[in-house]
Amino acid sequence: MAFDGVDSGAVAHPLGEDASSTSELAPGDPLFVVEGLRYAYLERFPALDDVDLEVRKGEKVALLGANGCGKSTLLKILDGLLFPDAGTFTAFGEQVTEDNLEDEQFAMGFRSRVGFIFQNSDAQVFSPTVREEIAFGPLQMGWPREKIDRRIGDVLRMLEIEPLAERAPFQLSGGEKKRVAIASVLVMNPEVLLFDEPTAALDPRTQAWLVELIIELNRAGKTIVMATHDLDILDAVADRCVVFSEDHRVAAEGSPATLLHDRELLLRVNLIHDHTHVHRLGNVEEAHEHEHDAAHHASQHV
Amino acid sequence: MSDVTVRAEEVPTPQWLVTGELALCPCGCIGKRKKGSFVEKTLSGAVGVMRNAMFGEDVAQQHGFLQRVDPRVKIVAFLGLLIVTAFVRNIPTLVVLYAATVVLAIVSALPVGFFVKRVWLFIPIFTGIIVIPAMFSFITPGTIVLPLWHWNGSPVGITEQGLTSAGLLVMRVATSVSLVVLLTLTTPWTKLLAGLRALAVPRIFILIIGMAYRYIFLLLNSVTDMYTSRKARTVGNQRNDYKEGQRVVGATAGALFGKAHALSEEVHMAMVSRGYAGDAKSYAAFTVGAIDVLFVVGCVVAAALVLGGDRLLGV
Repeated sequence: MAFDGVDSGAVAHPLGEDASSTSELAPGDPLFVVEGLRYAYLERFPALDDVDLEVRKGEKVALLGANGCGKSTLLKILDGLLFPDAGTFTAFGEQVTEDNLEDEQFAMGFRSRVGFIFQNSDAQVFSPTVREEIAFGPLQMGWPREKIDRRIGDVLRMLEIEPLAERAPFQLSGGEKKRVAIASVLVMNPEVLLFDEPTAALDPRTQAWLVELIIELNRAGKTIVMATHDLDILDAVADRCVVFSEDHRVAAEGSPATLLHDRELLLRVNLIHDHTHVHRLGNVEEAHEHEHDAAHHASQHV
Repeated sequence: MSDVTVRAEEVPTPQWLVTGELALCPCGCIGKRKKGSFVEKTLSGAVGVMRNAMFGEDVAQQHGFLQRVDPRVKIVAFLGLLIVTAFVRNIPTLVVLYAATVVLAIVSALPVGFFVKRVWLFIPIFTGIIVIPAMFSFITPGTIVLPLWHWNGSPVGITEQGLTSAGLLVMRVATSVSLVVLLTLTTPWTKLLAGLRALAVPRIFILIIGMAYRYIFLLLNSVTDMYTSRKARTVGNQRNDYKEGQRVVGATAGALFGKAHALSEEVHMAMVSRGYAGDAKSYAAFTVGAIDVLFVVGCVVAAALVLGGDRLLGV
């Protein structure tokens, strides 16, 4: 991967420049605190009901649940794009409300510290070219031109998309669009990265690349919150999982190892089917392709 | 035996799902061939638009003469040449100007056949309809060169003056369209927008056009997918079934509107998430070089020569 040596500092890391240096919080301190959160679409269709959640600095948190349980809605609330009908959301010690985000300074600070990678890359990659797409966020922040150009170059190299810089989004494949979407967020060097179903509709190679990237970003000090139902990658991409039930509440919380062994819980929240078995990556740090023989599949296991 | 097959977890699978359906005779002896419907033609046209746009972007990336000129300079110069074209009153002058656009296309590495076709394919359709009546003596009186019939004893036909007016209009349209095609084919869409922005076109206007252009392709793909999925499930001749066609177009338009609305909400969220607060900022920056100065001087000299020559030729 392009940023080997992040920890050792042997290779200059584009995110290392001022990564998390603005934050006064120490690893393990709560970054996001959500209490008694309720949200309903059109005030009729509930998406979240009495949800409590805490995300600590440097953590990798996975939000698990069946389709429509409210994971994506929660991510949008954590990014200050939707606002709860009831309950509170506190980020970096400040309450995030629609009113607060109207304050330019507060909004700038919050937006630069929290990055959101949408499930639908087509919605996120809206600029005429890849370079302009990556420049969009920094331009809104009012950064100087030289800094923007340098950051764009670094991120393009890091995500191995330099040849795509002048291409239009409609000329890109799904995997390329995902890389561009990630680049457009990473360029702002946020402290928290919110991923909505990051591995959905990606080929296995791109999925493996993304898993490695998430691990490396976390090592570089980023806090990761991810909505997913890809149980195969959980061990690698999450320290802690929050499971949502279909009645839009938190059903359980714990380590991937504990939750993935609780077959009864996963069946109850409709996350798995009776015939499902999960290929867990374990505590590996590099995803890889592997094959099983028929005997492996004959046994039911989680 | 029951008419359902029961699987291990007691979820019934209908019997019809596990048996094959009767298919049509494979020899095709009872089938009828049909031509594509208007829906199909519209969609193939839409796919053509996408292909053309992609080809246009490739051409705009080549290293020809006009591709190296600053987009702002190009926009201003071509606007000036368009105004000059509107003032020219002689066909020979317009022919020279048109020939100059072809030369510019050649030095800008544009395929000449494509460039000429792109201009002349539309002119008979749009301009022809307007100029044909103007050629006749009852619209443009004058010396009749081709009498067609008599009306109350006087001949009615195509007049010399009518032909001159029609020729002038056709050549003026051809030259103007050539100039616009030259500009759009040699400038990537993004740079064209950035150039317009640099020329003080409002930022929000540029942002909306840019996003509309970007999402047209996505929505065109959605339409093509919707139609393909419908076509995959359609059997039989529906050639004259216009009502069905209208229903399909209506349903597709409705579904597309819903998709576009959901997408626009998501795009807005993606923008807000990265700090957008209603005032988009532009990334493009241009510098004027020697080639730009050369191009501007060339255009000014050409404009002076064209207008001077046209005056010498008289009206």
